[in-house]
Amino acid sequence: MTGFRRLDPVSLLVAPAVGYLGLVYGLPLLLLLGHSFVVDGTPSIASFVRFFADPFDWMVIANTLRIALAVTLVSLVIGWPTAIALARAKGAAQAAILVAIILPLSVGVVVKAFAWQIVLRRDGVVSQALVWLHVWDEPQRLLFTETGLVVGAVNVFVPFMILPIYSVLKLVDPRLDEAAATLGAGPFFRFFLVALPLSLPGIVTGVAFVFSMAVSMYVVPSLLIGDRFQTLATLTGRSFLFMRNPQLGSTTAVVLLVLAVAVVVGSAKLSRRFGGAS
Amino acid sequence: MTTTPGFLDVAAAAKTFGAATVLDGVDLAVARGEFVSLLGPSGCGKTTLLRIVAGLIAPDGGRVVLDGDDITRRPPHRRDVGVVFQNYALFPHLDVAGNVGFGLKARGRKTAEIGPSVERHLDLVRMGAFADRPVKALSGGQQQRVAVARALAIEPKLMLLDEPFSALDRKLREAMQIDLKRILREVGTTAIFVTHDQDEALTMSDRIAVMHAGRIEQLGTPSEIYHRPATAFALDFVGLSTRLAGRVVSASGGEVVVETALGRIPARANLYPGSAAVVGVRPERIRLDAAGPCTVAATLTDVAFQGARVLLHGAAAEGDRVLVEAPSLPDGAGQGTRLTLSWALEDTLVFPAEGEAS
Repeated sequence: MTGFRRLDPVSLLVAPAVGYLGLVYGLPLLLLLGHSFVVDGTPSIASFVRFFADPFDWMVIANTLRIALAVTLVSLVIGWPTAIALARAKGAAQAAILVAIILPLSVGVVVKAFAWQIVLRRDGVVSQALVWLHVWDEPQRLLFTETGLVVGAVNVFVPFMILPIYSVLKLVDPRLDEAAATLGAGPFFRFFLVALPLSLPGIVTGVAFVFSMAVSMYVVPSLLIGDRFQTLATLTGRSFLFMRNPQLGSTTAVVLLVLAVAVVVGSAKLSRRFGGAS
Repeated sequence: MTTTPGFLDVAAAAKTFGAATVLDGVDLAVARGEFVSLLGPSGCGKTTLLRIVAGLIAPDGGRVVLDGDDITRRPPHRRDVGVVFQNYALFPHLDVAGNVGFGLKARGRKTAEIGPSVERHLDLVRMGAFADRPVKALSGGQQQRVAVARALAIEPKLMLLDEPFSALDRKLREAMQIDLKRILREVGTTAIFVTHDQDEALTMSDRIAVMHAGRIEQLGTPSEIYHRPATAFALDFVGLSTRLAGRVVSASGGEVVVETALGRIPARANLYPGSAAVVGVRPERIRLDAAGPCTVAATLTDVAFQGARVLLHGAAAEGDRVLVEAPSLPDGAGQGTRLTLSWALEDTLVFPAEGEAS
């Protein structure tokens, strides 16, 4: 990209999308930003000062990051091997795995969250199964716990980890692994010096997808952990809907936006340095 | 070439994929420092044999012994065998030096040792100026050189090359063939080279193994393979030839006479009277006169100009072929001219027809 070129007519194809997003997303976002930096009609960062002075708000930030990181990590641990299996599978087996990953996306998040409410109850199947297996002595409630929230959220987001990794892996030449082996690299070395760096672009995309969705999820925590546990997203919702405090709501929204962008961009940068030129 | 115990010894290597027998008990002995080509059409088992030697597939039966070690069950990363793949298989996430140094790094060598080795091997393939380029920025021929340097950098006991030039255009391919021979001679590495290109095999090899349907049909020097093909398949696959199907009509004292569509042709062979046979003659062995002792007549159908020589095609029955090489088109000859062809008795190559017991 050196200097300006004449406008490519093909680039006009993005105009509808840019126009739409600009109107219904960009403009409200700007208004929101403006709201958080204006107090009583004058520009001020007073609302941020107040926000960061309150230990409760720090706890909300910690909650948000802890849950998002846990969801991303569990999704990665489950999703990466699945993506490898999917990329190596052939024919009917591959189609079956793909359908199993994509079909659940057609079930809405609200429906899934309600379903998990039933599954995670004190008398739900998980509790009963663990008692039956003698892992637990008596039925326990997983609903309204952080564990329950992570389990439910991973279920919703894991396809967004699997699919980007899979799309990168299926383009990797299987001969590269053979070449590494003939050059004297054992399985461990091959994994860290060939397989990992080559799947890294997919992992970065998957992590960015899942983290940005998990850090901002609203419906899933509302239904699976409730009001006693606040994240930046649910606090933003409460500020606008229940507390009628758009000042606080726009402030938490901005904090959330900055955090999410920082983590996604930062992890991409970090992985690029770690993975070398790719 | 005498049959000394090989540096590489493959004994009775067999492999089936499902119902298909890909390798049917192949024996191959390669001497230290030798360059052996596996030549054959696709599906003949040549790549499978190479992959068995590399350890990338396990044979169903047989043994692979390299430098006195039985490596049949040894994983590829402990074999000391360098492989150059058909599509090069360079690591896209590493630069040129990273690729060439990969094997030494995998062996846990120190950086101070890897650097000079990478430099030396890149110079060997004349890619010294490209050390810090990403491999994606290289042309096909350059990637090929890097792949050769990468395999050589581990100082392997044996180099395996799987149709390494098939993706290159003809000019570049010929230049690379000569270059690769020079490099391997300089390093003194034993090499097995898989190809379906007979010119490539004839140009580069100390010996050629002609493979067909999972077996080695003939193993010999390029000159032996060309002048004394052992089977009708070897005659057809390597070089051009006149080829006439026929039947042995008489046999005595190591000489036979074969009845073909163009007449009776004498040859030196031990075949039973009545058996089906194939007669072959290399085009440059045929003279345009009646000096004999083998003489036939054929109608000229086509003339192919090839620069220093012309190739004359004669009329032939279904499945047969008549090919004569001449310095130039004989005066007054053209399509339809009746030509008299003759050659020496020892130039008649005769084989039992395929599927016929000899």
